[in-house]
Amino acid sequence: MDASRRAHVAFHLTGRRTGATSLDAVEGSGLRPALFARYRDLNDLRYDFPLVLDAGGGTLAESWSGACDRVLKDIARGEDGDRVSRHVLRLEREVRTAVASGAKGPLSALWARAAARLSSEDEPLVADSLNQAKTALGIDGEVADCDADLPRHLLTHAWSLTQARKAAAFRADLDRLVRGLTDILRADVAHSAEGCRADHLRAAVGGVDGDEIDFDALARVLTTAAPAATLAPARRRRIEGLIAALQSQDFYPAYAFTFNRPTAALAAYRGRLPKMAALAKAVAVAELEAQHSYREDRHDALFEHAGPDTLDPRDLGAFPDYFVSANARDLDPAEQAALLEMLSSGLPVKVLLQWDDLLDESPVGDGHLGLDPRCRQLATMAMSAGDAYVVQAPSSLLYQMRERLLGGMAYQGPALFSVFSGAGGQTDGLSPYLCAAAALESRAFPAFAYDPSAGSDWASRFSLDGNPQLDRDWPVQPFVYEDERHQRASESVAFTLADFVACDRRGARHFARVPRADWNGGFVSMDAAVLAGPGVAAGAVPALLMVDSALALQRVIVDERLLREVRRCREQWRSLQELGGVHNSHAERLVARERDRTGPPREAPAQHAPAVVIPEGQSAPAEVTDGPAPGQPYIETPRCSTCNECTNLNPNMFAYNENRQAYIKNPDAGTFAQMVEAAESCQLSIIHPGAPRNPNEPGLEELIARAQPFQ
Amino acid sequence: MTTASTHCLLEMYEERHELEDYQGGVPRWCSGCGDNAILTAVQRLCRDEQLKPEKTVFVSGIGCSSRFPHYMKTYGFHGIHGRALPVAEGVRLARPDLHVFVNTGDGDCCSIGAAHWIHAVRYNMNMTVFLHDNQIYGLTKMQASPTSPKGLKSNTTPRGAYLDALQPLTVTLGIQNVSFVAQAVDWIPELLYDTVKAAFHHRGFSFVRIVQRCPEWLPKLFEPVLHDPLRVQLLHHEDGLQPSPGLRAVYKNQLLHDPSNLDRAREIASVADPIPVGILYRNPEVPCYEDLRRTEHIRTPELIRAGLEAEFDRFTVWPQEAAG
Repeated sequence: MDASRRAHVAFHLTGRRTGATSLDAVEGSGLRPALFARYRDLNDLRYDFPLVLDAGGGTLAESWSGACDRVLKDIARGEDGDRVSRHVLRLEREVRTAVASGAKGPLSALWARAAARLSSEDEPLVADSLNQAKTALGIDGEVADCDADLPRHLLTHAWSLTQARKAAAFRADLDRLVRGLTDILRADVAHSAEGCRADHLRAAVGGVDGDEIDFDALARVLTTAAPAATLAPARRRRIEGLIAALQSQDFYPAYAFTFNRPTAALAAYRGRLPKMAALAKAVAVAELEAQHSYREDRHDALFEHAGPDTLDPRDLGAFPDYFVSANARDLDPAEQAALLEMLSSGLPVKVLLQWDDLLDESPVGDGHLGLDPRCRQLATMAMSAGDAYVVQAPSSLLYQMRERLLGGMAYQGPALFSVFSGAGGQTDGLSPYLCAAAALESRAFPAFAYDPSAGSDWASRFSLDGNPQLDRDWPVQPFVYEDERHQRASESVAFTLADFVACDRRGARHFARVPRADWNGGFVSMDAAVLAGPGVAAGAVPALLMVDSALALQRVIVDERLLREVRRCREQWRSLQELGGVHNSHAERLVARERDRTGPPREAPAQHAPAVVIPEGQSAPAEVTDGPAPGQPYIETPRCSTCNECTNLNPNMFAYNENRQAYIKNPDAGTFAQMVEAAESCQLSIIHPGAPRNPNEPGLEELIARAQPFQ
Repeated sequence: MTTASTHCLLEMYEERHELEDYQGGVPRWCSGCGDNAILTAVQRLCRDEQLKPEKTVFVSGIGCSSRFPHYMKTYGFHGIHGRALPVAEGVRLARPDLHVFVNTGDGDCCSIGAAHWIHAVRYNMNMTVFLHDNQIYGLTKMQASPTSPKGLKSNTTPRGAYLDALQPLTVTLGIQNVSFVAQAVDWIPELLYDTVKAAFHHRGFSFVRIVQRCPEWLPKLFEPVLHDPLRVQLLHHEDGLQPSPGLRAVYKNQLLHDPSNLDRAREIASVADPIPVGILYRNPEVPCYEDLRRTEHIRTPELIRAGLEAEFDRFTVWPQEAAG
């Protein structure tokens, strides 16, 4: 082993560059993972961001490039199509660049500024193209880029949309109840002596035809003819109390429901709980009253004890949800405890937990950087609560997960949105979008969703959708470059946690750049090193492919401590895979066992008899049924069409069952003559008279002959 | 929104309705009349679905069949001749919380009410419609109806009916937005019940033609069919009716028919002998008119007044404008 290779191994094992080696520190060298080589300037890329948060509420948000594509699909046609496309795409870039440089505001304002700039250039018909596009756009709202504010902006918007819908439904419900209760009171007045007075009647009819009616006469008639019943005083008081309670509620829109700290939300919830219980009770009683179903003897005692402890998620569902937008860095133990208490006790709370930084110094003090364990723990604990909706996603994926976000907001129960913003500020020039995407790619911050309303098992509830190349430990991408001889070369590169750490300036001590002259055959890729386990082949050193600011390819070796973190990250990802049904070890064992038991699959004939399909016109097999005892009269009851012929003839002998189909109730309750007559008059011929019960009945011989066709 | 305790209470005090709870009076129909079988099937449906009598309404026009609401202990509206459907549509719009049923006869629906029938199909409002088709005006003592068979001698056609009978199924299946069409016969109770049930569960305008015997005026009309099970054809399908093995053993003339196939449904409907029974067509995707017209605004007197004022204001001549 030569000296340089020994130095590489020494760095890998100790994390220290010995004085004699030519290994370079990566700090400040501007290196970035090789797979990011093409993503220098995001403004040149058409991707999901920025987003337009739909102020109209039709959708949650639309990606800016998606909106432009939609518009172009509608208007870029005919001979002007190319020109319109060119202008709209320039405007798109202009807006994206402005947003990336910090411009804020609604799309209409950004559009106007960008359009003014483009129109001032020496390009004809720009205004025409953009006017056409503006007309077809059909969306406006705040424009949000993928930055530190995105999670809060987007989730707050989603919460507001959901709450607006809930508020409208709640108010409509209250209005309906108040109207129903008021109608009961009004009807009572109309029935009263006062309501039957001539002047009241005249006012009720209105001006039209007022002279044609003698209201005094009408009042006399109504006073004597109208029912005298009026509302019981207790019911009147109850209804008046309900109307007052429903009209004076504080939940829509008086209270505030957005908080920055879980403890503040929990305190507010607890403080308002008695009022919430009282209002829920009032609504429930009002519902019964409006349907005239309230019975004092039944309901009084039960509603007397209705309080906060009888509220369940169905009741809470109609009230506004509490929205907590918290940053993980501010989450001290007390806040964390309040957060978990809310999530695990089914409170109507939607929590955005934003992570700006995923990496943390190892708590055991050995000086290496690792994934912050709280991130995984909090989401796992929320899922273990059973009825909390949990979504985890980096901000780069939020747009694609928008249905999940809306699902969590609409979910009747607690929801946790754990979002990594990528805006920790520890990366050298890497945008928050790329940083967040790197967290997703490297499995440092995998995306998942847990929806308790989707079913009763994990297969229905848990989803890993959104993660790239789900079935692998890490996504593997082709990487094409030019080698020393200017020939095209390519290799498959896995994006691991080491690549993510390499984007962070605090991770620099785990890496060392190898000068090109010292490149040798001892390098192995990170995924191969992880797969090989602790016993990496002697002399083999894991290395990353990175590029510098001049896009020159570099090899960077990684120390053992980071390799251990990468392994741990893979283990965590694998346990998520198992939950998501990917390489589930239980299922794989079962499959293997079944395969061993049944042998290899064969081209077997159908194991089940084919379903019998009776083609047109052919007969079905008859069902063999037990007949009645010989000589006993009977009716084919299921065929009876309730025509009343037999029951009119002798209701003691023939009767209807619970389906109003006839049967012989008592064959001795009449004569055989009646039995025969019933059989003859039954149009469906389903009455079978059997043998005579009384051998002394007159005319039996003739009756038996008449009964013969029906036996 | 109700509290948990209310849910429990409502369940605790939920009253189970038996068949007798839906019986509104002793029917005055003749013994042997097919209306009795329909009444029984519908009462069974109400019991099995536990429909609240106060949330159920039967609307009818005029004729023997239209006495139906009198015999149901629910809400009812015995309307005027041919106008059962518009009344039912009004009920549906004003009270979307009610289950709406319509009972109409071949004269009521296919003659004087034909225009309403066509448009009701097109509107596809959620209601269950039973066409009691006994092929004669029975209440007025035997006049030919649009569905009377050609050659039938009646008080209005003493030389026999001149025209081929109108086929209500083919007419219904030819109208835009048709969403459910089925046929039953009154003398196969199991099938009648299954058809009525399927119609009730369809959201939209469920049209069930029930071929029905009139023992008083046409006692012989269906006798050959009653005595020859092959003259009834059971339509069955996994998405349609699935008759019991017992029924299939008796009625051996069977046809596998997919109710989503409209063209095939029209072909089947045009056959009068054997009588096809079962679901001919079902399309749950057709929108209901009341859903298309649903508004967020509750029609309070204030809202109506405000709308009228706004409308009147459009035609107001303001003094200053008039002067100008």
